[in-house]
Amino acid sequence: MRGLSQGGVGVNSIIDVRGVSKAFQGQLVLTDVDFKVEAGKIVGLLGPNGAGKTTFIRILNGVLKADSGSIRIMGHNPITDGDEIRASSGIVTESAGLYHQMSGRENLDFFADLYGVTDQNQIARLLELFELSGHENKPVGTYSTGMKKRLALCKALLHNPKILFLDEPTNGLDPDGINMVLSYLKKYNQETKTTVLICSHVLHQLESICDSFAFMENHTIIEQGTLSQLEQKYVTEVIVRIGTDLVLKETKILGYDCKPIVDGILVTLPSKTEISTLLKKLLQQHQVHSVEIVNNNLESIYFKVRERVR
Amino acid sequence: MNKRILKAMIKKDLRDIYRTNTLLTTIIVIPIVFSVLFPTLLVGSSLLFDIEKAVGNDVEKMLSMFLSQTNNEQTFTNIEQQIVYLFINYLLPSLFLLVPIITASVVAANSFVGEKERRTLESLLFSPVSIKTLFLSKTIASFIPSFLVSVTSFILCGIIINGLGYQLFGEIIFPSSNWVALIICLSPMVILFTVLLNLYISSRVKTYQEAQNMSGIIVLPVIALIVGQVSGLFLVGAQLTLIIAAVILVVNVVLLLRITKLSDRHILFEKQIH
Repeated sequence: MRGLSQGGVGVNSIIDVRGVSKAFQGQLVLTDVDFKVEAGKIVGLLGPNGAGKTTFIRILNGVLKADSGSIRIMGHNPITDGDEIRASSGIVTESAGLYHQMSGRENLDFFADLYGVTDQNQIARLLELFELSGHENKPVGTYSTGMKKRLALCKALLHNPKILFLDEPTNGLDPDGINMVLSYLKKYNQETKTTVLICSHVLHQLESICDSFAFMENHTIIEQGTLSQLEQKYVTEVIVRIGTDLVLKETKILGYDCKPIVDGILVTLPSKTEISTLLKKLLQQHQVHSVEIVNNNLESIYFKVRERVR
Repeated sequence: MNKRILKAMIKKDLRDIYRTNTLLTTIIVIPIVFSVLFPTLLVGSSLLFDIEKAVGNDVEKMLSMFLSQTNNEQTFTNIEQQIVYLFINYLLPSLFLLVPIITASVVAANSFVGEKERRTLESLLFSPVSIKTLFLSKTIASFIPSFLVSVTSFILCGIIINGLGYQLFGEIIFPSSNWVALIICLSPMVILFTVLLNLYISSRVKTYQEAQNMSGIIVLPVIALIVGQVSGLFLVGAQLTLIIAAVILVVNVVLLLRITKLSDRHILFEKQIH
């Protein structure tokens, strides 16, 4: 496995992918993909458009066949036990896949039948949760993009899936909608321990809700791990933005590289532990309004990971 | 086979047909043209105009020749009766076949490629619906409205023919054995054939337009039947109707086996979604 080792991953992997490759008409779309997901976790599958994220999700659901490699989803092989996997997993695709001529309620009734949902209150509960109760009898064709996405989420959650596959679930949502969907997903995962795999290229949205991340580049997963594991491996120096009244006269402070910015300075430190030393010295003569590490967020790490493979 | 899923899929498709204006228009207009308009025009004109005067000896000879090929026991007192009888029992059934064909064609093509174009086929393939259930539900959901339209057209046709024809013949002339064989045996077989062929084509082409163009081939044998009868080459009686129905039944079984064999979810997904 290319990714960072994760404690216990191999023991309780709900998704276990080894050496999967796939080509369409001679053109490789996935190359030797290794991927593991621990049960109950939220994993962000990140990568640029065309990296192979959607194809990978389709293979995991058994609607596309991998050319080589082995896959186990909840212990099942997607090729031979596809229906078992599909019955225990929910998916939101980019297109939402809803019937526009049918109302929101009719769509959910239909999919409830397909997934064998017997709990009569489940639909009403989900409609209420995603603030669609007032629109349940309107044709889906009249819904906004955000409403369609929320209805697609209701559809995916109808049967209380064990795994939730979300392909760009926040596309087309307004900031309120994004917040609502992401915070609900986090809450849902904490309450039900449902494993969630989210594909996205909007990195900052996923940073706060995912337990770990997998990076796709050039049709394969080039790295996988938790944010702290990735930080440990890729953040070799710490860049700190300090809001201060200090006016820089030179390019070094206490021997560390630094440069002036609006209302403060940007200092490059060898490790996090140096931050307090620097602040102590700085506070002796100056005021400090804010301190922020700027290069340990998901976006910075993502670009560092991509740089490595180029 | 999951009956709950099958029922849900059929119900959804039937509702979809009811709500798609273009489909509904086709389903309503086609029976009106073939079952109301055509018989009304012919039987009505034979009541209104003196056809006997208008036609010459040659036409009379031709009609006699046609009638001699049939095994009818009907006695005719005038040329109008002969023309109406031949039209109602030999030409109209062939034309009538276009009702189930067109209806089934439009409904079946919409049923499968429609799902693909609306991007809902992806949702179905991602659900635990087996491909067998998917095809079976599509077949049943396309067969039901087509068969209902066919039967409704038959009843409408009967009312028009008997209503107008009674004044000409003084007795009920519809349905003859040809029509009974057609509505009970040939029409269901033709509908099933059209639906299966359309599903087969639809699962392999990308657009609704393509599916419709390819399935248009189905009307060619019907045109051959009409031309064959008009030219006097042959007349399709009850016996021949039953034989044709039996042949189509065999073809349907072959087609069904082929569809079941080729219906691999991955192939379907790659062809339809990717």
